[in-house]
Amino acid sequence: MADVLLVDDDKRFLDATVQLLSLLGHNVTAADSVAQARDLISKNVYTHLILDLILPDGSGLHLLEVLPAQNKTKITFITGHPSIKFIVKKLYGSNISYLIKPIDLQQLESLFEVNTPVPAKPDSSNNLHFNYLIGESAPMKYLYEMIERVAATKANVLLLGESGVGKEMVAEAIHYASQAEGRYVAANCGAFSRELINSELFGHEKGAFTGATHRKTGVFEQANKGTLFLDEITEMPLDLQPNLLRALETQKVTRLGATTSVDVECRVVSATNRTEQDIAVSGCLREDLYFRLAVFPIYIPPLRTRKEDIPLLVQYFLAGFNQEYGGEISINDISMKRLMDYDWPGNVRELRHAIHRAYIMADQHQKLLVLPENLTSPFSKIAHQHQAGIRVGKTVEEVERELIESTLEHFDGDKKQAADILGISLKTLYNRLNSYGNVEL
Amino acid sequence: MDGEKNRFVHALRNPLNTISINAELGKLTLERTGDIRKAISIFDTILVECQQCGHVLESLQDTRFTHVNSGGSESDEQ
Repeated sequence: MADVLLVDDDKRFLDATVQLLSLLGHNVTAADSVAQARDLISKNVYTHLILDLILPDGSGLHLLEVLPAQNKTKITFITGHPSIKFIVKKLYGSNISYLIKPIDLQQLESLFEVNTPVPAKPDSSNNLHFNYLIGESAPMKYLYEMIERVAATKANVLLLGESGVGKEMVAEAIHYASQAEGRYVAANCGAFSRELINSELFGHEKGAFTGATHRKTGVFEQANKGTLFLDEITEMPLDLQPNLLRALETQKVTRLGATTSVDVECRVVSATNRTEQDIAVSGCLREDLYFRLAVFPIYIPPLRTRKEDIPLLVQYFLAGFNQEYGGEISINDISMKRLMDYDWPGNVRELRHAIHRAYIMADQHQKLLVLPENLTSPFSKIAHQHQAGIRVGKTVEEVERELIESTLEHFDGDKKQAADILGISLKTLYNRLNSYGNVEL
Repeated sequence: MDGEKNRFVHALRNPLNTISINAELGKLTLERTGDIRKAISIFDTILVECQQCGHVLESLQDTRFTHVNSGGSESDEQ
């Protein structure tokens, strides 16, 4: 028995198909607009989504964006034009089915047949924790425990972690674990323009300012009874932070131009890639706001501290790309070892990009991923240099030595490349190494 | 002509779709539940949709499409 959401604005078709699917033994919910379907998807889990492509308030394609990442819902589009099939397939991959009008029983029943699954996919999706997270390492198990604890409360969470560790994934996992009634809404405080930040957060009434042609609800209201994820919270202008503080303290927001306030009850999960120390020293976040947001701080571990999770992540990404592109590419032990040896300063995001790139370059005969000769990206070199760590108390000589040694290590001991990147002659590099006692020249 | 043709195709495909799905529903209703009253209301829906198709076909008959012949000159238009 399947849980089906059927979305179509043709009332007669909708009624008959609901009855037909019910007679076939399925649970069916009907919606006649994108808005109604969006609302239902946010509150329920469906095994099948059958969608009209063109609806009065938008395209059925918009609903794909609402589905949680790695969602297993089977998507089917109803279309009158077989040609649309190819366009949508190009845009959204092959994991989508189609019903071509006029639809008969055979077509409908075929949607619910249990097909042989794509290899590797079931295993990889079983590894998901809280529907979003992958990893069985000790740091991740600790993270899962923290998520479970905080999900049982209404506390606000501050996610701390380097760039690319998956802060948004953790935010969604917290929302998932909370089983909140409302929606998950994400907003990036670093992406809002200074002029519009209040309107984005709290909404505005029609005519509140030049260009406000419609009433708009802000992200706080949208996330009512749910979870509001505020990414890059430390990038929010300091003088605008009191407004956010007030909303958190009073649990009320007032749309720009409005005379009355609206009650909002949502968990705020905020995130930053700065360290707590950096937040305190740089003063980028008001202290009172910090304490409101960081009732429960969660630190997300960088990938280099949980390298045993790399194979799981690689297999997961690979299964996703295989499904998306309809391929059967795998990875050999040598490539996997190289991936595990690398430090991934850009964390899981960098790993995913590397797998995607290697997938595009894959050897189609042997059906194997082909990694580039050098895994490092320009960003990772910068991160490496930062990692060398200049701190007060070190001598110039120590810093120079650390810089030279880490550069050499980065280039696997290639002195020519290290000298080039350091901007010194090969002779100078040898002289320095001599003075350190690194005699294996 | 393409736009005009597509409009008719669309106007026919939707009622045909409703007819198809209701015919399947009628069959299944009789097979599984034997509910005659329900089946009659389903047939009524099918008849309404058939009439809809009839209207579309009538308007199609009254329409003279724009033809573009090989020489590129246009003939009549509705």
